[in-house]
Amino acid sequence: MMRYKRFFLQLIIILLFIGLVGILINNLIINLIRTDLGFNFYWLLKPASFALSEHALPFSPSDSYAWALLIGWINSLKVILFSLIFSTILGIIIGLSRTSKNILIKKISSFYITFIRQTPLLLQLMFWYFVGFLGLKNKFINFSNILKINTQGIEFFGLSLTPEFSALFIGLSVFTSAFIGEVIRGGIISVEKGQWESFRSLGLSERDGLIKVIIPQALPAIIPGLTSQYLNLAKNSTLAIAIGYSDIYAINDTIINQTGRAIECFIILLLTFLILNLSITNLMEKINKLINKKQIYIN
Amino acid sequence: MYLKKINKNFKKFREILLLNSLNNFLTIILVFAIFITFLQTFNWLIVNSKWTAVTTNIPLFVFGTFPEDQRWRPFIWIMSLLTICFLSIVPPKWKWLRKNLLIAWIGMIPLGIFLLYGGFGIQTVMSRNFGGLTLTILLTVCSSMFALPIGIGLAFCRQSSLFVVKKLSSIYIDSMRAVPLIAVLFFGQLLIPLFLPLGLEIDSVWRAIFAFTLFVSAYIAEDIRGGLQAIPHTQIESAKSLGLNHLQIIRFILIPQSLRIALPALTNQVIGLFQNTSLMSILGLVELLGIGRSILANPKFIGQYIEVYIWLASVYWIICTLLALMAKYLEKRLKIA
Amino acid sequence: MHKLLSGIAFLSLLISGCSSSYQKDTSRLDLIKKRGELICGVSGQIAGFSFLDNDGKYKGLDVDICKAFAAGIVGDAKKLQYRPLTATERFTAIKTGEIDVLSRNTTFTLSRDSTGGNGLSFAPIVFYDSQGIMVKKESNIKNIQDLKNKSICVGSGTTTEQNINDVFESKAIPYNPIKYQDASQVSASYLQGRCSAMTSDRSQLASARSGFPNPAGHIILEDVLSKEPLSPASDGTDNKLADALRWIIFTLITAEEKGITKENIDEKVKLAKNNPQLKSLRRFLGVDGGLGEKIGLRNDFTINVIKATGNYGEIYERNLGENSDVTLSRNSNKLYINGGLHFSPPFN
Repeated sequence: MMRYKRFFLQLIIILLFIGLVGILINNLIINLIRTDLGFNFYWLLKPASFALSEHALPFSPSDSYAWALLIGWINSLKVILFSLIFSTILGIIIGLSRTSKNILIKKISSFYITFIRQTPLLLQLMFWYFVGFLGLKNKFINFSNILKINTQGIEFFGLSLTPEFSALFIGLSVFTSAFIGEVIRGGIISVEKGQWESFRSLGLSERDGLIKVIIPQALPAIIPGLTSQYLNLAKNSTLAIAIGYSDIYAINDTIINQTGRAIECFIILLLTFLILNLSITNLMEKINKLINKKQIYIN
Repeated sequence: MYLKKINKNFKKFREILLLNSLNNFLTIILVFAIFITFLQTFNWLIVNSKWTAVTTNIPLFVFGTFPEDQRWRPFIWIMSLLTICFLSIVPPKWKWLRKNLLIAWIGMIPLGIFLLYGGFGIQTVMSRNFGGLTLTILLTVCSSMFALPIGIGLAFCRQSSLFVVKKLSSIYIDSMRAVPLIAVLFFGQLLIPLFLPLGLEIDSVWRAIFAFTLFVSAYIAEDIRGGLQAIPHTQIESAKSLGLNHLQIIRFILIPQSLRIALPALTNQVIGLFQNTSLMSILGLVELLGIGRSILANPKFIGQYIEVYIWLASVYWIICTLLALMAKYLEKRLKIA
Repeated sequence: MHKLLSGIAFLSLLISGCSSSYQKDTSRLDLIKKRGELICGVSGQIAGFSFLDNDGKYKGLDVDICKAFAAGIVGDAKKLQYRPLTATERFTAIKTGEIDVLSRNTTFTLSRDSTGGNGLSFAPIVFYDSQGIMVKKESNIKNIQDLKNKSICVGSGTTTEQNINDVFESKAIPYNPIKYQDASQVSASYLQGRCSAMTSDRSQLASARSGFPNPAGHIILEDVLSKEPLSPASDGTDNKLADALRWIIFTLITAEEKGITKENIDEKVKLAKNNPQLKSLRRFLGVDGGLGEKIGLRNDFTINVIKATGNYGEIYERNLGENSDVTLSRNSNKLYINGGLHFSPPFN
C-alpha cells in the first residue's frame, strides 16, 4: 500500500510538472504566432552588420551572427581568465594580510574586504571605468614606457588593453579578491594551532613554514570555496555590458535588438553558461584530486 | 678593523632608520601612503568636488518619481521596516509582540504594497513611479521574504526520499546557480510576458521580484541544506522517541535549527540581493543606481561622476554594514539562547 | 486516487482557460480605454526629448507626444504612465504588450515597420533628423576621412550603429566603435576622452552639447551619415490603434497650420460652433462629420489633444525652442508652408 501511495504521489508530481511546462510552452507558441516572431536558428548565418572594437579573431560586419557570438565568447573567456589569475594573486595577498601579525596590515586588509563586499559590483565597475580610466583625462601614468595607463587603456610591455577591458578586469579582480581573501583566511585558520608551533619549534622561518606546512594543509579547505568564487567571477563578467565591453551577453543583447530573436538568444546564452560552469567545476575537481594525491605522498 | 667599524655603524644605521624588520618597514610605507591618500582626498573634497548633483536630488534618490504629495507613504513604510528591524535585534519586553514578530515581518509586505500602490481610500500610484531607495528596498524585502520559504521547501525536496522530487529540485537548484543573475533578470523583464496568456500582464516591478525570487531561492536552498546536514542525527532520533511525527520534527526541530546554523550565510544572501538589485538599472528600472544614472544624464549635472558614485557607494555601504551588524548581533543572541 | 483525478481536472481547466483567452483578439485601443490609462515607452535620458527633471517629472518632445496620445485616446493627458526603456528593450516591450506606444527617438525604417522584421507600425514622423558626428574643435578633425583608425563612441543596438558602419565600410575607412547601452554613457565617454568622436542623431548631439561645460569647444561635422526620421511606434498587427495614433499626430500638425493653440482653443471651438459655414474647422474640431468615431476615438478628441499639449509648434518651442534648455533651429521641422517637411493630410 505504502509503495503504491509513493508511486502515485510521484506520478501526480510529474504530471503537474509536465502540465505546467506544457501550459507555458503553449502560451509561448501562441504568443510567438501572434507576434510573428517565430522560432528558428537560420538567422545565425546572416551577416551581423555591426562592428566590434575588440576581437581576438578577424571580424568584419559582413561576418555572420554565429561568428559574432563566437567572438563574444572569446572576449568573455579572455576577461574571465585574466581576472581569475589576478584575483587569485590579489586574494592570496589579502588573505595572508588578514592573518598577519602586523596590526596595521590586518586592519587595512579587513577594511578593504568589508568595503569591497558591501558595495555593489556594478557600481564598482562604473567607478573603475568612468572615474578610474576615463577620469584620467590627459594625466598619464607612465613608468619608463613599460607600463602606461591613460584614457586609452593600459599598455604593458607592448601589450595594449582597452579601457573597457581593463576596467572590467580590474573591477572583477578587486571584487573577487575580497571574497577569495576570506576563503584563504578561512583555510589558514582551519589549520590547527599546533601546526604553527611545531614548525616554529623545528626552526623553519615564518615564510617557509607558511608555504611548506600551513598552505598545503589549508588547500583542501580552500579549493571548494575557491571554485564557487571562480564560478561567481565567470557569472559576474556578464556585467560587462554596463561599461561597453563586448562580451557574450552584450553581443546577445545587440543581436536581440537587431533581430528580435529574444528566445533563441536566451537559449544560446543559457547553454553556453551551463557548459562554462561544468568545465570550471570539472577542472577544479581535477585540481582537488591532484592535491589530495600529493597530500598522500607527503604524509 | 676599519671595515668592521663601518659595518657596525651601518648596522646601527639600519636599526634606527629601517627598523630592521620588514614588518616595520611596511608599516612606515603604509602610514605614508594612507597619509597621502587622506591629504589628496581632503584636498579634493574641499577644493574640487561639486555636490549639487547629490544635494539637489536627495528626494529623487530616496523616493524616485513618487508623487510629491504622497511621499509620506514610502516614508512610513521605510520607518516601520526600521522599527521592526530594531525590535528583532533588541527584543521588546512585551511578550505578545515578541511572539508576533514573524507575523509582523510577513505583514510588512502587504503593508508596503498597500502604502506604495495605494487604493482602499488613498490615491493609487503606479509602479512605474517607484524608484530610488524605496524601490531598492521593496525589491529586496519582497524577494527575500518570498525566496526564504521557497528555498526551505527546495532544500527539503532535495533531501526527499522520493526520486522525482529530489531530481527535479536538484536540477532546478543547480541550473539556477549556473546562470548569471542578469540573464535571469533579462528573462523576467523581457521573456515572461511571452509565457503568459494574452491579456494577463504583470507589471515590471513584480516581474523583477519574481526573477530575483527564482534566483535567490536556489542559493538559499543550498544554504539551508548545509544547515540541515549540520544538525546532529541524535536530535532527530530523540525527537522521534518523544513521539513527534514527521511534520512536527520538520517544524520544531529541522527548520529552526537549520535556520540558526545557516543564519550567517542567509545574511550574506540578503546583503547580496540588496546589492544586486542595482542590476535592474541595466534593465530599465530606476532604482537607486538607476536614479544615479538618470541624474548623470541631466545636462545640469554632467561630469559629476565621482560625487554621485561616492554618494551611492556610501548609501549601499551603510545599509549593508547595518544589515551585517544586525545579523551578527542576532547570531550572538541566538547562541546564548 | 481522487487527488490524481482532481489534479488532472485542474490542469485541463487551466489549459482550456489559456487557449480560450486567445480567441478574443481585441484591439489595444479598447484595452487602453478600458484601463483608462496609456502606457508610453520613453528613453528618459535625452535632454529635449525625454528626460527626468529635477522635480521628478519626465519632460521633452517625446513625452509631450505621449501626453497628446493619452489626451486623444483616454481624454486626459494625466492618465499616462511612462516606462523608461533601453534601446534593446523597446521593441520587445511593444510586442509583448508591456507598453502601448513607443515614443523614444525611434527611427522609421523598413525592417522595423514590416511584419518580416520587427513587426511594428509607425505613426507619422514627429521629428526629421539626420545622423551626424561630433568632434572636439581642438582635434582638427574636419571630415570623416580624418577619423581613420580613431575611436568613435556610439549607442549599441541602434540604427546609428548600423549607419556609421555602412558609411565607413563603403568608404573603406577603418574605425574603432566603442559601444554603450545608453546615450548618457556615450556622451560621458566622449567628453572624458575615450573617443575622438561621438555619433548620434544631430538633434541628440546638439542636445548633449548644450549640456557640456564648454559647448563652443565641440563641432558637428558637415557629413550627413543618414536620414533619421523619428516617429512613435505601436504593434504592427493592431491597425485600429495605429490609425488613432496617426491622426493624433496629424491633429498636432493641422492645429499649427490652422493657427489653433492651447490658448485660443476655446475661442476656436466657440467660433466653429457658431459659424456653420466654417466647414473644415468644424470637421477638425469634431462639431461636424463624426471623424473621431471612425478611428475609434471621441469626435472631439482633437480638442482634448490641443488643450493638453498645444499644437506641434508649441511642443517644439517648449522643448527645443529658443527659451528651452536645448536650442535647435527648426529647419526641416517647420510646416511645409514655411519650407519645412511637416504636412498633414486633410481631416475629411
